Amino acid sequence: MNDRIFGILLIALAVAYGWGATQLPAPFGGSEAVGPETFPLLLSVVLVLSSLYLIVRPDPDNAWPWSRTGIELVIAVVVLVLYAALLQPLGFILSTTLAVGTLCWRMGSAPVRAYLTGGVSGVVVFLLFNFALDLALPLGVLSFLEVG
Amino acid sequence: METLGYLIDGFGVALAPHNLMFALLGAFLGTLIGALPGLGPANGVAILIPLAFSLGLAPETALIMLTSVYAGAMYGGRISSILLNIPGDEPAMMTCLDGYPMAQQGKAAEALAISAVASFIGSLVATIGLILLAPLLAKFALTFGPAEYFALFLLAFATLGGITGKNPMKTVVAACIGLMIATVGIDNTGVQRYTFGVLELYEGVDFIIAIVGLFAISELLFFIEERAGGGKAKMTVNKLSLKWADIRNILPSSLRGGVLGFIAGVLPGAGASLGSFIGYTLEKKVVGKKGYFGAGDPRGVAGPEAGNNGASSGALVPMLTLGVPGSGTTAVLLALLISLNITPGPLMFTQNADIVWGVIAALLIGNFLLLLLNIPLVGIFVKLLSVPPMFLLPVVTMIAFVGIYSISNTTFDLYFMVAFGVAGYIFRKLEIPLVPIILGLLLGPEMEKNLRHAMDISDGDWTILWNSGLAIGLWVFAGLGLILPYVVGPLLRRRMKVTTGTGGPEGD
Repeated sequence: MNDRIFGILLIALAVAYGWGATQLPAPFGGSEAVGPETFPLLLSVVLVLSSLYLIVRPDPDNAWPWSRTGIELVIAVVVLVLYAALLQPLGFILSTTLAVGTLCWRMGSAPVRAYLTGGVSGVVVFLLFNFALDLALPLGVLSFLEVG
Repeated sequence: METLGYLIDGFGVALAPHNLMFALLGAFLGTLIGALPGLGPANGVAILIPLAFSLGLAPETALIMLTSVYAGAMYGGRISSILLNIPGDEPAMMTCLDGYPMAQQGKAAEALAISAVASFIGSLVATIGLILLAPLLAKFALTFGPAEYFALFLLAFATLGGITGKNPMKTVVAACIGLMIATVGIDNTGVQRYTFGVLELYEGVDFIIAIVGLFAISELLFFIEERAGGGKAKMTVNKLSLKWADIRNILPSSLRGGVLGFIAGVLPGAGASLGSFIGYTLEKKVVGKKGYFGAGDPRGVAGPEAGNNGASSGALVPMLTLGVPGSGTTAVLLALLISLNITPGPLMFTQNADIVWGVIAALLIGNFLLLLLNIPLVGIFVKLLSVPPMFLLPVVTMIAFVGIYSISNTTFDLYFMVAFGVAGYIFRKLEIPLVPIILGLLLGPEMEKNLRHAMDISDGDWTILWNSGLAIGLWVFAGLGLILPYVVGPLLRRRMKVTTGTGGPEGD
């Protein structure tokens, strides 16, 4: 069933992609044997054909983690997105402590050890990058600690 | 003898102190990555690429470090196989068969030492093969025109699933997805394609972000789902008592394994998993009833270890000479080359001779370093192995974040990377292979360019694509690459399953 649904989605994608290719403007200097649309059109044809195969002869499904594990996965993705969002405003050390700590904790570590791991790894990597490797990572709200 | 001169120059590059230092660092990190369950060579190289970039290393230094990581990861895979009966990656699976029984008999140190020696011999044999074969193949590849290249790329995709792969149609789907992502951005004629006016997309999707997302982030998600648990059994390694006779005993097995592995590595679609598998089966056949395979026979450790390390060097042959990688890890290395503005392929042997030969020399040196590292330091790797993954994986993910962030200093790339990670998780669930996606991303622009050149030459006549004997040969092989898995695949997979008692390998 998974393969069928995926196949249908892919066909939709291929059609949209192929249609997009036909809408591309002709390149400056007139059209050629292979324009910007040729390769994408070829791809959309191949993708439609191979997706049709998936729909006709799907493989057996792998189980999706619906219940609790699914929630854990969503939490992990949310943590990663928040990590990306907070990296600059909050600074590397704090956001890393939060992100790595939360991930360790949700993966089964005791909370104190989890956030400790996050904090230590954040500080170590920050020092390593800023001093040993000369690459500036954002300090964010901790920027008052900046030396010089 | 031209080759020898180049090789000597190559040693000059590889032996430069800072290159040597990075080779050592790479070998160490690689062994560590290979040893940790869940992190294979492809993952390891993928996570370290952004770091190599942000460090602003010279091309040859970056390449030397990452090939050492690659070689090291192939070495490291055996540690958890032998001590825990958990293969660090798929090629290491065959090592469990005799390595773990040896460890149970209190001969863990011997098993580890034997596997290190065998890995060394396998790599050495294959590196010599690489030195002999690569320049020849590069010369031959110079006769390729655009049409032949186009067909070659198709061959690469068709065989990437490997003859043991499950559903070749999914390889096609994956390749299409990769190629489609590759068309995003401004094309050769200056037309914007699929950018939707987003400024960050004008230069296309950065494949390093895609690679790190698809491999590293999806690995984290997969781990959360499977939750392999925290604590592991404590392992102890006895004091090493390896006699010269023991090494002599495994020498023929290692040599045979190395040669077989090299061949498996060079052939498209075979790779390290097959290398270690045939390394093991051949040993069993050659030694016959005199052996006690499956019950801790040292030759059963040496054969597959030499095989998988031979294959990993062999896989560099098509990657360096044709620009077509034969495995996941070499695809990641190819990404590195392209982003260093080096076009892999036959011309690289003339235009960037110092880099190619520097890397080959570094591979030789790396193997010596690994042998030196592995026998005395194995205790350290064993200790590090007992760090529970629930601490390790979040930290590795953070390093991936830092690496990507320090390339561009924007968070846009990070969101993109997470999106690729989620997509990678879904693809893996659906058994859509990830490597063809990467390869599509990497080769897409070249493929389109060659198609365009071929059509310019022929004035728009499509038959040029199969107009030469060579091109037809490549098309036929590509066709076979798609059909063979249906015929041979199930058979081969069943045999591997019988031998290892687990699922069949799916490339490396």
